[in-house]
Amino acid sequence: MYGAIIAFKKYNFTDGILHSPWVGLDNFKLLFSTPTTIQIIRNTLALSLLSIVAGFPFPILLAVLLNEVRRMWFKKIVQTLVYLPHFFSWVIVSGIVVTIFSQQNGVVSGLWESLTGRSYPFLYREGSWLAIFVGSGIWKEAGFSAIIYLAALTSIEPSLYEASSMDGASRWKQLWHVTLPGIRTTIALMFILSMGRVMEVGFDQVYMLQNSTVSDISEVISTYIYKIGLMGAQFSLTTAIGLFESLVGLILVLGANAIARKYGNGLW
Amino acid sequence: MKPSLGERIYLIGVYMVLTVAALMCLLPLVHIVSVSTSSLQAVASGRVTLFPIDASLEAYRQLIDGTPIVRAMWNSAYITVAGILFSMTFTVLAAYPLTRSYFIGRRMYTFAIVFTMLFGGGLIPTYMTIRSLELINTYWSLWLPGLVSVFNMLVLRTSIENIPSEIDEASRIDGCGEWRYLLRIVLPLSMPVLATLALFYGVGYWNSFFNVLMFINDPAKFNMAVLVQQMIQSQTMLSQLNALGSSEQLQLSPEMVNAAAVVVMVLPMLVVYPLLQKYFVKGVMIGAVKG
Repeated sequence: MYGAIIAFKKYNFTDGILHSPWVGLDNFKLLFSTPTTIQIIRNTLALSLLSIVAGFPFPILLAVLLNEVRRMWFKKIVQTLVYLPHFFSWVIVSGIVVTIFSQQNGVVSGLWESLTGRSYPFLYREGSWLAIFVGSGIWKEAGFSAIIYLAALTSIEPSLYEASSMDGASRWKQLWHVTLPGIRTTIALMFILSMGRVMEVGFDQVYMLQNSTVSDISEVISTYIYKIGLMGAQFSLTTAIGLFESLVGLILVLGANAIARKYGNGLW
Repeated sequence: MKPSLGERIYLIGVYMVLTVAALMCLLPLVHIVSVSTSSLQAVASGRVTLFPIDASLEAYRQLIDGTPIVRAMWNSAYITVAGILFSMTFTVLAAYPLTRSYFIGRRMYTFAIVFTMLFGGGLIPTYMTIRSLELINTYWSLWLPGLVSVFNMLVLRTSIENIPSEIDEASRIDGCGEWRYLLRIVLPLSMPVLATLALFYGVGYWNSFFNVLMFINDPAKFNMAVLVQQMIQSQTMLSQLNALGSSEQLQLSPEMVNAAAVVVMVLPMLVVYPLLQKYFVKGVMIGAVKG
């Protein structure tokens, strides 16, 4: 935290943190007037919003479907398999992605080639890269996020199901009128909380999946700080970006929690 | 009562979607294993899908002989085992006092700890702190900044709070002190949570990438995550520059070696995971209950 004051200074190594000259808000002014930084802030928001919105329905779907299964051994196997990717690092996931989508001998590219007769550089086009980015995030986390919905599903009163089947509701109708309303508050809560984390896109995921051809859309705040700040020694400017990110993040989390509290379910 | 036709179709649909989801998680792994154990010709012609063709372990031999993977693996193991020990010790020592009602300043400490979860100084200040503490290139730079995960600490605190206070009173009357109460009563009763947290910490340390990238510059000290990532990155560049010429003569493509590296990195996870699975679902649930 203490180091954060260099965001307001023109830091250099010889003077150290405390004795570098103060520059007030100059770093922040620079931050909001350079097109690159505007672009990376936009990218950060775009990538995380896309991941959240596209990835949101999958855990719910998984949990609801798992809840319908009565054969315990089947449920167990499916759960084991879908939780597994959560424990892999992005190194592993990106390794798998590169192997599968590589243009020369990836299995997906091979399939594409035999269908259309042309090879397609999936990792080097912005559209398909975006799809791979979002898809890999869903692949990794959807199963594990389903746990929280599974927990919510167990709290639904079983008598509701009995009553509705007495009244002749089919399984499908029960799903719509009992199961989904039963976890509605959890869904709303999870959505609000995930909106609170919009400023965070995992460094690992972006850093490992990105490549120079798609850097226009894939450079985000954390990778930019790493590359320009640490590698390029632009300490003050990048600290300012980091501080801005933290501040917006804090406001979002507090705001999200305030809304969540209205549903009687705050984080603390 | 026999299920009606509509109900049967519904159930078949449910089972099919779930099967597809499970397969989607499994098949990429199978594919990677196959790529790493097939011959170059089969991989290059794109014939390898789920089963290895002309099985060979050449890629693994190349991986062990040609790259510093063995040392990186030891580094990873060292970071992970020591990291779990440190983190668990301090998480317990942080969580336990916060559950005691007679601990003065409890709310203030809780707030101070939770605040670090919400607001950090940022990357560069963290880096400069580590540098001025002269921890660059030591594993302390990996262990210290994330010594106690706030979230894990809160999970443990909640679970300790749920131990009935009668147990506390009874043991006090029998003359049990703080340390003995913590070690003999609280910890054994929190076993499932402790196992879960150890798994989370372990996975975190084993997979730690960014901190290693930032704080460790000496390639001899790299862990597996960074090493494998660098291998993948250089291979991507290679295929970008069109690697037709030289690698064709070899018996292997860099891709296959990378696939082998990914398999090696996944392996310990696959061994530990089934043992701990029954705990972590329970542990995550405890976190879901408001503290």
